[in-house]
Amino acid sequence: MAVLFITALLAATIRLGMAIGLAAIGEAASERSGIFNIGIEGVMLSGAFVAAWGSVRTGSPWFGVLFATLIGILLAGVHAFMVLVLRINQFVSGIGMVIFGLGFSSFAARLTIGAKPTSVHGLASLDFGAISHIPIVGSVLFGQSPLAYIALVLAIGTGWVINRTAFGLEIRACGENSEVAETLAIPVKRRQTACILFGGAAAGLGGAYLSVVQVDAFVENMVAGRGFLAVACVMLGRRKPVIALLAALGFGLAEAIQIRMQTIYPDLPYQFLVILPYVAAIAALVLGHSRRRFSPI
Amino acid sequence: MSEGMTRVIRVTIVLVVAALVPSLFVLMAGHNPWRVLETLLLYALGPQGWSEVLVHAIPLTLIGLGVAFALRGGLFNIGSDGQLIAGAVLAVFFAPYLEGWGIAGLLVFLILGSLGGAALGALVGYLRAWFGASEIIVTIMLNYVMVQMISYLIRGPMQETSRFWPQSYLIPENCFLPVIVQGTRLHAGLFVALIMVIVFAVIQRRTVIGFVSSVLGANPGAAVYAGFRVKMLTVIVMAISGGLAGLAGAVEVGGIYQRLQDNMAEGFGLAGIAIALIARLEAVAIPLAACLFGIFFAGTGALQRELALPFPLVWIIESAVIFAVAAVQWALPNRKAVA
Repeated sequence: MAVLFITALLAATIRLGMAIGLAAIGEAASERSGIFNIGIEGVMLSGAFVAAWGSVRTGSPWFGVLFATLIGILLAGVHAFMVLVLRINQFVSGIGMVIFGLGFSSFAARLTIGAKPTSVHGLASLDFGAISHIPIVGSVLFGQSPLAYIALVLAIGTGWVINRTAFGLEIRACGENSEVAETLAIPVKRRQTACILFGGAAAGLGGAYLSVVQVDAFVENMVAGRGFLAVACVMLGRRKPVIALLAALGFGLAEAIQIRMQTIYPDLPYQFLVILPYVAAIAALVLGHSRRRFSPI
Repeated sequence: MSEGMTRVIRVTIVLVVAALVPSLFVLMAGHNPWRVLETLLLYALGPQGWSEVLVHAIPLTLIGLGVAFALRGGLFNIGSDGQLIAGAVLAVFFAPYLEGWGIAGLLVFLILGSLGGAALGALVGYLRAWFGASEIIVTIMLNYVMVQMISYLIRGPMQETSRFWPQSYLIPENCFLPVIVQGTRLHAGLFVALIMVIVFAVIQRRTVIGFVSSVLGANPGAAVYAGFRVKMLTVIVMAISGGLAGLAGAVEVGGIYQRLQDNMAEGFGLAGIAIALIARLEAVAIPLAACLFGIFFAGTGALQRELALPFPLVWIIESAVIFAVAAVQWALPNRKAVA
């Protein structure tokens, strides 16, 4: 019984945390280059819708995932243009992106797949045969969606590129001090653009994860703050992709516990449980603070 | 090319692109953008719509004032929705005790609303100042928390006595903001909003807190060096900002709903940010920007009813306006930058 419970809890942790994690990996890269994208909530919403729409239209969730990645890159491109070319305040542009994503996804959904109940072809979980059926580890480690493994590879890969390559050193230089980086002949804006676009692609993937893996449907405003939770993960993970992904899994765990407590304690008003991930985010930001730095946001 | 010409061309490009984006979505929905704009304006400025524009502009003005005040202090308050709920809840919670107090009861009701929002705002300021927790993230998280809290309260402790509908009991009649134009929903909250505009125009220009918070926003280092109590100031600025959103909550309850319910003023917080930015954080310009957004909200509602155009169009328009206003600063580089 306890084994089953823990297995299900851990599997759910990964399933519920990966959307946040994917977005957090991209945001970590973006912030390492010195640019915040507070608008990934909007990018995720757009990605979630486009993935669901693409999956319904083409019949293949992989096309949905592809479309979501592309719309993520497109919207991030707008952010990069606004911030790097027009020199608009990055938080203002980010909030504009949140509102656009909210409008675009809900508007387009009501005109297309949202008009009547539509089932979205979800992305099947992987099955590695025998090892996927080992108790606990099997379903937790070897029975997840392909996107979850992509997230893991992406987190480690991004961390490696940032910390171990010349390209990553240039990115870090842009983030630490862009003027000095400029004098060292590093193409600052190109490096930052690359990171912002990567962040957009990852956020689009995160949105796709929600609509074709986690829920198999598009619901208006379904991201429900996960984009902002991803930004919080990056703060908690001190802009390190792997740690940001772990922080996202922490929120996944909070969500998984919350859902289980609703059935264990039916008398407790569910609203007090639903808020758990959000309260956890505030608590984590408060406990994980560093006193010496008055951070920009 | 002269500098003036460059500016004219740049501004034109910005405005054309800003108009194109929502038009594109309207076209994709199979409608003629011109006709949609015509329908929107005819309704919003017509005999039925004008009062609805003002009804929306009342809370938007209050929230916009609050967001602008925080932004002047360098703080992003994205939590107006949550603070609005906090204000509405506190005011409605004590409203039954105000029965028979007459006009004083209404005043206390509105003050309670402000206090509720201010308490939530002060909490954010405290976490920001003492623990370095990003006010952007904390305010957004609190929005989700407050939505769940009101959902619990109107289905639990504060539910109406028949225990059937998910809504609270009615507030006593002396806490109503009376309708000021017969046959419309336009209520006396309009005066509350206008008074606060004047108050904040004065605060901005003539008071210590207005000056000190502007210094904090323009240059936090200078504020520390000048010996301002920056941490306390952060709490006060967020409390004032949240207080205005809380007041908006009490005004919405007193003027329109007369009770608590779900989906009160959903999304006004994001609109408030856009309004503050359009008004360039100037208190006197905020009611005008709020009326513009009142037109969007009321007009898009009419589009949904008459042309079956989905209401979320309003967010697309809103984001286009935010980007356009920000981009105009690029087009006119010598103007004062916002935030």
